[in-house]
Amino acid sequence: MAQYVCARVTRIDNSDIALFDRDWNNTLYYFVMNSDEHIYLRYGGRDSRSPDTYLSLSSLEIALERGLEIHRRYQGGEIKPAARPKPLFPRDFKVLAENTLARRRCVECHLVNDYRLVEKEQEGTLDKLVEMYRSPDIRTIGIELDVPKGLVVKEARADVQAAGMQAGDEIAGLNGTPVYTFGDLQYRYDKLPRDARQMSVTVNRGGRPVELAIALPAQWWVTDLRFRQLSVEPRPEFESRPLTAAEKEKLGLKAAGFAAEVKSIGGFAQMLKVHELKAGDIVFAVDGVEVDEIADTPELYIRLRSKAGDKVTLGYIRDGKQAKMEVRTQSMAFRK
Amino acid sequence: MRLLVAAACLACLLPATLAEDDSLHWHDNYADAVREARRTGKPIFLEFRCEP
Repeated sequence: MAQYVCARVTRIDNSDIALFDRDWNNTLYYFVMNSDEHIYLRYGGRDSRSPDTYLSLSSLEIALERGLEIHRRYQGGEIKPAARPKPLFPRDFKVLAENTLARRRCVECHLVNDYRLVEKEQEGTLDKLVEMYRSPDIRTIGIELDVPKGLVVKEARADVQAAGMQAGDEIAGLNGTPVYTFGDLQYRYDKLPRDARQMSVTVNRGGRPVELAIALPAQWWVTDLRFRQLSVEPRPEFESRPLTAAEKEKLGLKAAGFAAEVKSIGGFAQMLKVHELKAGDIVFAVDGVEVDEIADTPELYIRLRSKAGDKVTLGYIRDGKQAKMEVRTQSMAFRK
Repeated sequence: MRLLVAAACLACLLPATLAEDDSLHWHDNYADAVREARRTGKPIFLEFRCEP
């Protein structure tokens, strides 16, 4: 470690968030870079299971060793300086500047993403399929990493197995871009267009690079959103559990529908009575729609298909009787 | 909560490892770190984390 200059940033008010671009729902993240501000690699990343799924001291040591190796290559001229992205600072987001910087509040990492999305929505450029489903889970396509060993594959299943990936392979590149850590892999994977149907992965196998063409399944990017519930508006202010096929059949609801049982009501909804749903209600329709290609719950349908402030009509069942309820969706209160 | 625990754990592990070298110093100013890296020719290990 003495071979590194170590620095810690706990306030990103004046950080170039374009240079240090990442999934801002990670609150612990590392960059290995040089004094030209050329980034060698990233360390960090998480999934829906836990914030530390992909963090370990041994994989960090591997990353630091790789960083030194890349630094030597950079100094030797083997690696050219990367083009620096156009600088972007938290103060460049008008709403963030007004709500946070002007009030001398800390620009928490997730706020960068939250306000960026607010501005995109205001501009009409928000792509919810990309922004809600950040950092897709590599396990969806069958990659299970041996986390302490960095990017060594512990088990290859499903799509990656079909493409020839094997346990023991070490992932080294994605679509021609080198990746040195899980943080690199997740960052590059997240950058794929959501309509991508194939990607190229380079693995090291027995000391030799092997190129794998991996066919991506439909909705390869769908991930569990529970840990990033604040990222995209609106807030439906309730949580539900998808009904089983048997439960839907018993109630005479569509088998492919997103009918779900309300499990909890948001505190905001309770305080301001924004809707009158109760735990145990079965919500089976939103604005008359019961089936969606992505949403498996009514609140996910609302988040995907409506904007904050929209009025939606819920079809629900309470005490065995069907009824309708009008709900106005809510904006987020960003502060703790 | 688990996120905070993870952050705390990794952050604690790092200084424990680094403590072997008393000369190691964590800059809390990014610009200072870049200047030192330029002067010494060392790479930078940069941590982003919330204030404890």
